[in-house]
Parts: sequence; structure tokens; C-alpha cells
Amino acid sequence: MKVGIEVHQQLATKKKLFCSCPIVKSETLPLQFERRLRPTQSELGHIDPAAVFEFAKGRSNVYRWNPESSCLVEADEEPPHKMNEEAIDTSILIAQLLHSNLVDEIHVMRKIVIDGSNTSGFQRTAVIALGGELSVEGEEVGVQTVTLEEDAARILGEDAHSRFFALDRLGVSLVEISLDPIMGTPEQVEKAALYLGRALRSTGRVARGLGTIRQDLNISTTGGSVVEVKGVQKLNLLAKVIVYELTRQVGLGKIAADIKKRGIRRVRCTTKDVTDLFRSATSKVLVKSVKSGERVVCVSAEGLAGLLGYEPYQGIRLGKELAEIARANSLGGVIHSDEFGRQGVSKEEAEELEKAMGAGKGSAFVLVAGDESKANGTAALLEVRLGQALGGVPAETRAATEEGETRYMRPRPGPARMYPETDVPEIVVSPRRKERLFEDVPVPWGEKVKEYEKKYSLSPELALQVYDSEFAHTFERLAQGTRLTPSVIATLLVEIPVRLTREGIKEEKIGEEVLVELVHAIDEGRVAKEAAPDLLRVVGEGKAVNVEEAAKFLKLKRLGQAELGRIIDEVVRKNRSMILSKGEDAFSPLMGEVMKEVRGRVDGQLVGEALRLRLRKRGKGKG
Amino acid sequence: MADFDGYRGNSLEFLMRSEAGVGDMVEVGTEWGVITGTVVPRYQYDDDRHIVLKLPSGYNVGLSIDRLKGLTRKSSGEKPAFAPPPPPPSPKEDLPRVAILGTGGTIASRVDYRTGAVHPAISSEELYALIPELSEVARIEPEIIFSVYSENIEPENWSRIAERVSEAVAGGIDGVVITHGTDTLGYTAAALTFALQGVPIPVILTAAQRSSDRPSSDAVLNLVGAVSVAGYASFSGVYVAMHDSESDGRVALHLGTRVRKNHTSARDAFKSVGVSPAALWSREGLEIHLEGLPQRRKAAKFSSKPRFEAKVALLKFFPSMPLTLLEALANGGTRGVVIEGTGLGHVNSKNIPFIRRFAEHGGLVCMASQCINGRVNMNVYDTGRDLLSAGVIPLEDMLAETALAKAMWVLANSNSIEEARSMMRASLCGEITERTLR
Ligand SMILES: [Zn+2]
Repeated sequence: MKVGIEVHQQLATKKKLFCSCPIVKSETLPLQFERRLRPTQSELGHIDPAAVFEFAKGRSNVYRWNPESSCLVEADEEPPHKMNEEAIDTSILIAQLLHSNLVDEIHVMRKIVIDGSNTSGFQRTAVIALGGELSVEGEEVGVQTVTLEEDAARILGEDAHSRFFALDRLGVSLVEISLDPIMGTPEQVEKAALYLGRALRSTGRVARGLGTIRQDLNISTTGGSVVEVKGVQKLNLLAKVIVYELTRQVGLGKIAADIKKRGIRRVRCTTKDVTDLFRSATSKVLVKSVKSGERVVCVSAEGLAGLLGYEPYQGIRLGKELAEIARANSLGGVIHSDEFGRQGVSKEEAEELEKAMGAGKGSAFVLVAGDESKANGTAALLEVRLGQALGGVPAETRAATEEGETRYMRPRPGPARMYPETDVPEIVVSPRRKERLFEDVPVPWGEKVKEYEKKYSLSPELALQVYDSEFAHTFERLAQGTRLTPSVIATLLVEIPVRLTREGIKEEKIGEEVLVELVHAIDEGRVAKEAAPDLLRVVGEGKAVNVEEAAKFLKLKRLGQAELGRIIDEVVRKNRSMILSKGEDAFSPLMGEVMKEVRGRVDGQLVGEALRLRLRKRGKGKG
Repeated sequence: MADFDGYRGNSLEFLMRSEAGVGDMVEVGTEWGVITGTVVPRYQYDDDRHIVLKLPSGYNVGLSIDRLKGLTRKSSGEKPAFAPPPPPPSPKEDLPRVAILGTGGTIASRVDYRTGAVHPAISSEELYALIPELSEVARIEPEIIFSVYSENIEPENWSRIAERVSEAVAGGIDGVVITHGTDTLGYTAAALTFALQGVPIPVILTAAQRSSDRPSSDAVLNLVGAVSVAGYASFSGVYVAMHDSESDGRVALHLGTRVRKNHTSARDAFKSVGVSPAALWSREGLEIHLEGLPQRRKAAKFSSKPRFEAKVALLKFFPSMPLTLLEALANGGTRGVVIEGTGLGHVNSKNIPFIRRFAEHGGLVCMASQCINGRVNMNVYDTGRDLLSAGVIPLEDMLAETALAKAMWVLANSNSIEEARSMMRASLCGEITERTLR
């Protein structure tokens, strides 16, 4: 395998890259406008396949915005302002960290992007430095380029007519680092990304939080086309995504081999409108489509019967690939002949379809339903895809899913179509600027982790966990601002949340605000630290929005001294005989029993002290 | 012969010494290693210490010639292949004929991604290829009459356009579209309205606020809207067709005498002032919003009045305006002045004797307001009344830019200063409205 990785890291600049808007995620987006992007033609007369694909979908883009986070620059209603100097400085710093060689003059380019995520139809991007290397546990991974670019608009959703975007993220500074392809294990790729992320964070000038760092992958197996996988947001999904994609690619190779085994040298397809056959169909889905005036179009592929449902590996089927293409065109999916039975297409219908299509023996059939232009347009794409089945892996752009799989997005764009952004003057990087920034090159992250270990007496693992988390700054602040020991704070901020995500709780449900509230609540004695996992679980499961509510939900009320005393008295009374027989050794079992009653409502240490005191008093009383 | 587009001084010398020019594939040695790329043009005012290379990835980078360790030409640049665009759909015979007169600014273009150059589409074939939907709207007849930046347009350009429109009408065209840069589009629209009074077909000016090489350009919708209106509208006359809002949906048609560029960069920069847009076009159809528009007429006799007097000034009054300014204009042969006065139509009263002298010597002095919205009224304050008695003609709610174009046209198309003055007071083409409604 061969995996190229591009890491996109948002910078923590005060303003956006080409305007003075602040970096804010807007909760409300009261304004909107609607646009259509057109593919532009190059001098050679060809149009990018990816661009045509997007335009052919015929959808408009609706942009929603809030003046608190966007202005006319993001709306493509005003030319870009000068490039943000702070962002240039930070990217120069990052380049130096990676021993990458700075260019002498920065030229901003327009890179054509026509999926609507940029209002202009292109992304502004500039090379800052070339070459360099990243050290990963003693091994060097080559750096290809360090570029500074604007982030895209945030997608909100889509329907059959439009795609909806928020403009708040558009124009945020992003550093893109592309590494040389790694020919190792998926874990090695993940490790490289992890080390790169740590290096970036060591500058203290990059944004933190979910979605502020994204990974794109270029994955290929020997001899296969390169598949671009976009938008892996979580580092711990990287290896999983790579494994899935490699499995898919090998699986497609097996399917291709099977097709060849059947003696097929070219997949012959026919497309026909077969709506009339399904006017009184047995398949509920098809009946519904036909009744609402949609067309049903069939694509037949000679000799492929049985191969659309064939699953060389779990979840890898040609039929699934076809369905993904239909879904990318906002249709529900496809029904193919290997699953006619399961989809409620009767035997008689299948026979009539075979007749109508006039296809030879052993043909596979794929049905797609939608309005006339969409159904036909998608059928044309399905024909192309069936034709590619013989070649194994087609070059495409896929999106990473939250489950660590990949989904079809669009054909791979042709070679990057770039031309100069004439609205932004080039920037000379003076030797003096390089020198000045050289003094700002941060301490390597390894040293920073050691510093945590020493200064806060954390274990090496916990120190690294704090450094890797989003909460390093928060940790430092709380370690100084509360009476809790740093290791308790670190456990609360990073260890417990990680444990909970393993239980299946969504990481983003437990935000910084809640964690900070929890630390303060424990510090002020409002809840006991033993209750922390339960409290966060309740918040993570959405049963409460904050710690206070979670405590109410769990009926956790801080026990008063008097009540604790009463509970201890009760336990001591019940176990009188055991105390008599065991003496001092009775402490542990008694402690366990008391804790069962009071867990989460009072600190364990306090319980211990109170119990010991009570036992001593009793001993004395007996004389 | 190598091409050194934009290179000068040291960087030019550096390239010449290496016998490499723009478009050549080269290898350069840097302090850190060898880079391969294509030499691309530099801008005229850039420094002479860098060369720009396009890397194989498509990115441009600038490299300091002081730090380069030599440059080797690997191969000469391939000339851009002007392969023909995909075959255009051919329009149906029964569609209306629409002339598209280009005056500057590109409404459609192709990008040469190799050098970054933008090439305008000139022929109808190219236009159909780039904007296929045009072939379903009209049989277009494109023609570049001149290619001038909007800010460099002069009255003689207006004359040329008016003559061309006149000829096209004589040739039986169904409508005319004029593409134009946006900066002075409002002035040209007003000028043409006067020069083309009585034109029997729609004459639609259109432009783009976002250049046509971008996927987000507003040019296509504006052009398709303009061609549709020119080909099918039931009305005639001169209009500006531009985006009605920041969305790609509706194109507003503004009366040529009541339109103004009110924003430097937004798609809906052009606004009708004091009236609503004459009509709104969208792919769903055309809605007419103003009553009494002149009707389209078939086979009507028409001749334009294309002459303009260039010696007219538009003078914006400002608090420290030197008293000698008006005198200097008069001495320079200026025949008419449109003053953009303050508020209801005032200037510092110290100017009044100069204005009186200018008018007494046969000069045309008119007053519009710098307020943009509203109407001048020079009877409310003493200064206004004094200006009137000095011979200033109040222009009611006429836009200052329209007033300038009108004064230029009036002075070239009247027989006496008295006639010119009375023409300025009259509303010839809707440039003055009787009722202020906004
Ligand atoms: Zn902004």
C-alpha cells in the first residue's frame, strides 16, 4: 500500500486570511443568498470531470451567514483584502519547524473548487515552503509542501435542489502540510499524523477543538488508481479508514478478477427507461416512485449477473458502489438484480425486465428512480462505473465517514487547475522576517511534555495525554487556579472523557465548558470526585446539559456532616459483632459499606477520616 | 525569440543570460536543492529581484535571483494550444436576432491555466460554447466595436455605440445588447438614452462585477437576461441589466437615465434611483414594474442623434472649493457645468458672482444634488434663490451623472443656449420625475 497524507490545520489567528472578520462559529445564520457555480473552461477546451459532475447535478448553493462572522469578502461580493500577516508568520514558523525551505515570494493562487464550498468557485492558496522532514520516532518522513490557504464554508445539509452552507468558517486560515507517501502500515500513517499534529500544536498558534484539524488521504494499492479520501476529522480513525479503503480496493480487485475469469474483456451496458414495467410493481419503493411521477431507468451489464451482490469482503460489493453514486446524486440508491428478491421485485417482473432490455444471458440489471434528468444522468454515471469494474479501482474522491469507512463523493478532479489570484499582491518574504521568526521557533513538543511531568508531577502517559488533548491550556489554568492536585485535574480533563468515549459516548458531547464546571464543582466541594464519571456520562448521554443538572438527575446532593455521621452510626450498629471480633481490621469492609451508601456525595477521604474517628471513639468508649 | 512578459532590470538580465523566457521549462538551483518549473509572467510593477516559477503542482512561487545558483533551460514553452472549444449548439432559425456589441470588459472568457492568462470569447461560436443556454434564447451576432476600460470611455465612444445601434436597427435586428465595464456604465446608459431617443427595440447594457473567468461570475446570468430581454421584451428603449440582489436569480432592468452604480463591488451595485426598476427578469419570465414604457415597434423609421459636446464639467461642490475653479473651467473653453450642490442645491454664496458671469457669457449652468436621493429645490433658502437669479437651472431629481451626459448631448443638439436651457429643464427620457416617491 501507499498512503499520502495531507494535514489541514486551522490557525488561531485573530482575523480571517483575506478579511478582518473574527473567527467565530455562529449559532444563528439570519441572512442568506443563493448562487450557481459554472465550470470554467480551460484554454484547451476541456472542462474538469469533477466540475462537470457537480454542475450536472444542477443544484444551487444556498449560503447562510451572520455579520458577526462574515462580510462581503466571504460572500464573494468584495475582493479579498491583503493576506493576514499573522497567518503568514505562523505558517513560516511551522515551515521552519519542519525544516521546510521558504519561498522568497509568496504567490496566492486560485484553485478551482466547484462543489459550492467556496462562494468564489475557487480556493485561495499559496505555497509557503518546499521540502523538509518530520521526525517520527527517529524516522524521517519527507515533507512535500507547506501551503497557507483559506478554509471552506461549513456544509449544513442538502436537498434535491440545493446545498446549504454556513459562511462562518469560510476564509479561516489553514495550513496544509503534505507528507511524502508512506509505504508502511496504517498505524505508521496514523503515527505520522499524530506527530505532525503535536509539532503544529507546539507553536501555540494553531486552533484547537473538533474540526480544527482534518486529514486527507491518497490511498492506492499496487497497480491501482489513487483514491482521494477527504475529511478524516479524528486522528484515531485514520488507521481504520485506511484499512477499510485498502480492503475495498483489494476487494474490487477480486471482483475485477472474477469478471475477467468469465471471459469479459469489456463490460457492455445498455440503458433504457422502464417506468411502464413498474406501474403496478410489487416493490413498494418503485411503486411510490412511479406514482409520484418519477422515472425508473434500468442499466444492464452483460455477464455481470451475480457479481453485483458478490462480497469478497464484508461490506464490499459492486452493488454498494453503485448505490453510493446514486446517493451522491441525491437519489435514494439503486435496486440491482442480485437483490431483486429482497427488494420486492417479483420473478415475473425480473423476466419482463430482461425481455424489455433485450440483454443477453447472465446480464445484471440496475434500477434507479428519480426525476427524468436525474435518473438518466445517474444511469449514465452507473454505466461508466460498471465499465470501470474490469479495471478494479477507479480514481475517485471519497469522503471518510464517522464510522471509519469511505463513501463515494465524485470523480477525481483532473490535475489541479490553478491560476494566479490577481486581486492579492505577492508577498516578499524578507530574510529579516525569516530571522525574526526564527527566534520564535517553539520548544519541541517532547520538552513541553517533560515540563508537564516535572512541573505538575504527572506520569509521562498523563502528561502526553494532556499535551495531545484540546485542553492543555485549560489544564494549566486550572492547575494554577484551584486547590485540586494537577493529576486529579488531568484525570478529569483527559482520562475520564477518553474512557467514556470508549463506552460509546460522543466526544463532542462533553465540551470544555462542562469539564471546567466539573473541576470547579469538585474544587468547591459541591460534588465528590468519585462522582465524576457518572456525572459526565449523564451529560454525554444528553440527559443533562451541565454538571449541576447531572447532579440533580443522579440525585446527588452533597452529604452534610450530620447525615454522614448518621449513616456511619447505622453501619457501625449493624456490624457491631464484626467490629468486636476484627477490631482494626474491620475498617476496610465497613468503609466499603459506607461508600456504597454515599458514593459521589462526599469525598472518599472524608468518609475514611470520619469512620476512623468513629471507630476510635467507640474503642475509647468501651474503655 | 524568448518572451519576457513583465520581467525587467535584474531579473530580465538574469533570464536573458540563461537564455530562458516566459513559458520555458527550467531547472533552478537553490540553497536547498533543485526545483523544476515553468517561467511565468510577472506584473509590470513588481520588483526586478525575483523570478516566478509555476511548479508541476500548479502553484506559483517567487524565487530571489540573488540566492539562485543558476538556471538551466530544459525545454522551450509549448505555445498554448488554441484547440477549438466543444462544438456549439446551433440556434433555431425562428429565434430572434440579437446583436451583442462589445465595448470592453469580458463577459465570457477562457483561462489558460498554464500562464494564468484570461482570453475573452469573441465569436458567437465561442459564446455559444461557453454559455450553451444562449442558443436556446436567440441567434446572437457578436461584434467588438472597441475595447476600452470603462474608466477610459469618452463621449466619442458613446457616439460610436449609438451609430452602431442605429445601423443594427436599420438591418432589422430584434434587440441589441451592449457589454461594458461597470465603472462608467451609468454614464453611458444615460448618454445612449438621449442619443437613441425613439429607438424601436430594446437596447440593453450589461456587465459583470465578478470577472467571467471565475465559476462564480455574475456575467452569465446578466448576459442571458440581457439577451432574453433584448430579444423578447414588449418594450423598447435603453436599459441596464444587472443582478437584482446578491443571489443568482433575478436581473433588474434599470431605466438608462435613472441608474447609478452605488457599490464598488457587489453584484447588485446598480440601483434605480427615485423609481423602481423598469422590469425584473428571471428564467421564469419578465415582470414589468414601471408603467408607460415605450412599446417595441416593428419596421419603424429611426435615426440616432449621436453627437455629444465633450466640453462640459461635472463639479462637486465642497466646503473649501476655490472661487477660481469655475473661472478656470470657463477659460478652458468649458461650455456647460453641472454643479453637484449640497442639500437642496447650494454652493458657497461667494461663488455666485462667478456663476453669474459664466451664465451671462452663454455658459450652461445646472444644479443637481450630491444627496443622490431627493429633489433640488432652490426656493427654500436665500442662497438657492440667489443662484437661480444668477442663471442656474435647477434639475429637479435628475441624477448628476445623467445631467452631465444630458448637458453634453443637449449642447451638441440645440441651436442656441436658450434652447439648450429649456431642453435641460424638460424631461426628455424620464430623467426627471414629477413625484418624489422615495
Ligand atoms: Zn469577512
